[in-house]
Amino acid sequence: MAEFEPKILAFLCNWCAYRGADLAGTSRFHYPPNVRAIRLMCTGSLDPVYVLKALLDGADGVLIGGCHPGNCHYQDGNYKAMRRVEVLKNILRQVGIDEERVWLRWIDASEGALFSETIKEMVDELRAKGPNPMRGQWQLWQETVGGKPQKERVR
Amino acid sequence: MKVEAFLKVEKGDTLGTLRNFLGRLLTEGVVNYLLVPLEISHGRALAPTLVKDPARLSQANPFSPVMPESGAAIVAQLTIDQPGKKLGAVLKPCEIRALVELVKLGQASLENVIIIGTDCLGTLEVEDYAKFIEGMEGAEKGAKVLADMRQGAKLPISLRPACKMCNVFTPLTSDITLGLFGVKEGVFISLEDKLAKKLNLGAREAPERQKAIEQLAESRSKAREQVFSEFRERTKNIVDFASYLDTCIMCYACSAACPLCYCRVCFFRTDTFEPESERYYRWADREGALRMPTEILLYHLTRLNHVAISCCGCGMCESACPRKLPLTTIFQTVGEGLQKALNYVPGRSVDEEIPLATIPEVKV
Repeated sequence: MAEFEPKILAFLCNWCAYRGADLAGTSRFHYPPNVRAIRLMCTGSLDPVYVLKALLDGADGVLIGGCHPGNCHYQDGNYKAMRRVEVLKNILRQVGIDEERVWLRWIDASEGALFSETIKEMVDELRAKGPNPMRGQWQLWQETVGGKPQKERVR
Repeated sequence: MKVEAFLKVEKGDTLGTLRNFLGRLLTEGVVNYLLVPLEISHGRALAPTLVKDPARLSQANPFSPVMPESGAAIVAQLTIDQPGKKLGAVLKPCEIRALVELVKLGQASLENVIIIGTDCLGTLEVEDYAKFIEGMEGAEKGAKVLADMRQGAKLPISLRPACKMCNVFTPLTSDITLGLFGVKEGVFISLEDKLAKKLNLGAREAPERQKAIEQLAESRSKAREQVFSEFRERTKNIVDFASYLDTCIMCYACSAACPLCYCRVCFFRTDTFEPESERYYRWADREGALRMPTEILLYHLTRLNHVAISCCGCGMCESACPRKLPLTTIFQTVGEGLQKALNYVPGRSVDEEIPLATIPEVKV
């Protein structure tokens, strides 16, 4: 069986993390292709509902990438994100979802190397964790989560 | 400065005394309007009512044994555009806590509002109470229920689940407090000294009150801990959690009843969640089966994310739920865990900011 390839959904802020990803590309920094990026104008505009949706539908990890504290293009959007993620993780923990699958990282537009490192690190950790036991909606109502991972499904 | 006083009750007519007191607030111009529960349908039900004419108070019951909806949402409706009317709002402790949260969220205003907070003896489900009253003989049924509950007599119907586990049954903040705990006869009242003078209320202390409150709080806290630990014990993973919600029909009643779920248009009731039917078939193709309606868990988890931090435990969600899902347990347990982690007590004071609105300390 081939090695498990985690699927990561990345919500990246337009001004920092997304440009960091861009820079990683133009600088030819290699990073694993496990990440699907979604560009946001600001991490402060990310409603936790999208992170939840990703996790419930089987994403192995969710990366939220924004500007370093103090650098937000909209003054304090990243602080809002920080608080929301704190609340989200607390709730995930309490309802039995692995909070460690959600990463909040600050990556500047100039930090292409950091972006590629972050993805590498995340892929390694998720590989060690194994697939998200929540592999889809039906499983919620029917099967045991946390047991043997299901057969990889076609997505 | 606040002083403590008593409302003297004559011939055991507690409600008469309270109605009289509320009437005086109107006639003396302390307030121009009162929001207070009034008996309707021959006492079968009580409804929050905006009263201008003191004569209409003949049906009022500030210690209403039912809470058909949270008064916090109604005060928000009456004050969000700051109408400049002097409004006296007779509210239960959980309603006050929710109102304080709504003020912090910019959804209500306390300008010109006088909060008349009441001790809460616990509330009954609306439908239970209606049946109970229909089976009772004689007049003044509401007064009899109040007297019974006050003496701690066992009613044939039980309190709402939220009330059974409520350990904050006296107002955390209020301008006037009407109290029953630790007072055998009459009604305890705490109010500004100037107002007490205006209403000719002599100061008098209630030495038993604090003890009575602490005693009840202790036994309720035990019941509360029991509920919390059972939930935590049972919830090891997300499937366990989902099992609490497995008969949900996505009617959104919990969100409509929740005083803190204040979005004008709920995200879950927009086009995003009404996709073209093709998407459902694709989902079913992918997983072999698709539970309809979809997104039940996403809905409840998102609601938790939005309101758990401010959840005041009124339990309106569970009372409104046609399937009687244990929503109070879920929201109070998760809420407590979250509130403790953020060191936040919802509804305590309008001056304490909601943690989501504060700029956190930076850990770089």
